[in-house]
Amino acid sequence: MTFQADIHWRIPTGQRLVFEDFDDGIVAFDTLVGSTHLLNVTAAEALAIIEAEPGLSAQAIHARLLSRLDLGAESLPLAAVDELLWRLEDLNLIAGFIE
Amino acid sequence: MNVGSLSSVAIGAELAAGGLALSIPPITVRLRSPMAFLADQIHSLYRDYEFVPADAYVDIDIRMLPVNGLRRWAGRQVQFVVDGVTPFEPFPLEHALPMFEWGLNWVVSHRLHGHLLLHCAVAARDGHAVLFPAWPGSGKSTLSAALACSGWRFLSDEYGIVALDDARLLPFVRPVALKNESIDVVRAFAPEAFIGPVFPETRKGTVAHLRPPEESVRRGSDPAVAGAIVFPDFQRGEGTSVKRVPPAVAFLKLAGNAFNYEVVGEAGFRAVATLIRSCGAWILRYGDLAAARAALDDILQEAVR
Repeated sequence: MTFQADIHWRIPTGQRLVFEDFDDGIVAFDTLVGSTHLLNVTAAEALAIIEAEPGLSAQAIHARLLSRLDLGAESLPLAAVDELLWRLEDLNLIAGFIE
Repeated sequence: MNVGSLSSVAIGAELAAGGLALSIPPITVRLRSPMAFLADQIHSLYRDYEFVPADAYVDIDIRMLPVNGLRRWAGRQVQFVVDGVTPFEPFPLEHALPMFEWGLNWVVSHRLHGHLLLHCAVAARDGHAVLFPAWPGSGKSTLSAALACSGWRFLSDEYGIVALDDARLLPFVRPVALKNESIDVVRAFAPEAFIGPVFPETRKGTVAHLRPPEESVRRGSDPAVAGAIVFPDFQRGEGTSVKRVPPAVAFLKLAGNAFNYEVVGEAGFRAVATLIRSCGAWILRYGDLAAARAALDDILQEAVR
């Protein structure tokens, strides 16, 4: 059985994301498949964290997000970050692996 | 030399012999056809277009040919042949002109991948181009026709051709395809405008073509800088309303409207980003052309402030 704590996240091999930051959101272009996504700040920061430090767990990403966004855990619970990561995985923007 | 400098009969002779190589920037199209009635229609609608020697290099070679043989049971028909290939089923013979116009659009959308191709009308005033990205039925052709007849520079009713290096807009000035009630709407709006023959019962309903303004044709090679992005939303009987579109949302609407965004890839993404950063975006809901034109004046004033 796999627990959430076992899953680590990275950017898929060969993928490069290009970002454009606007007042109402961040638009990301996935150069690997040519798709475009509208992201909120949390999602864009999560991608930036994973790109900079591949292999982090959800807990580690959560901690870095709280620090970067200057939020408390009550504003951004771990469960919300976990859900976000799986949504990003659904979009093929990140990939999970088990160590 | 432009088409109007020759007689319709002479144009017909060119079409029937080596072909008429029309300069429709950014492309050159050679049209060949033995049909005299098509020559008359080309002569009137493309009156102000330059043509080059028939044996010059052209980007697209089109033949409009009467169909013989087994298809005679269906009545007289016309076949669209592009570079020797027949991508469509034949049309009724009398629909040769609409078929040429649609066929040329189809070829352009499949080949012009050195640019980002937006599905939009483009018109400019005082050096500021307005993009009208929209899918069929939103009234972009009717609106662009009205602007063309109101002193605006007309660039296209169908394509926003965006240069990938600097996001400038390349004109693709063609006759404006008006459909169904928009034919009479434009006639009433601009009685002096030249509208070609009406083609009832085509695959897109009743169709007629507005001849673009001579000045717009003459400036067909001059790129324009975008000043505003306006998503038109024609609602019969409705009043006029204008709503600002936030940039990231406008980005997705614009990119999603392109014919070849996936083909041009990252360069297309960057071109859209340049447009969004340089222009505001609005939704214009309208039910009346004169009111829409007035609203556009206000939008442009705000956009270039």
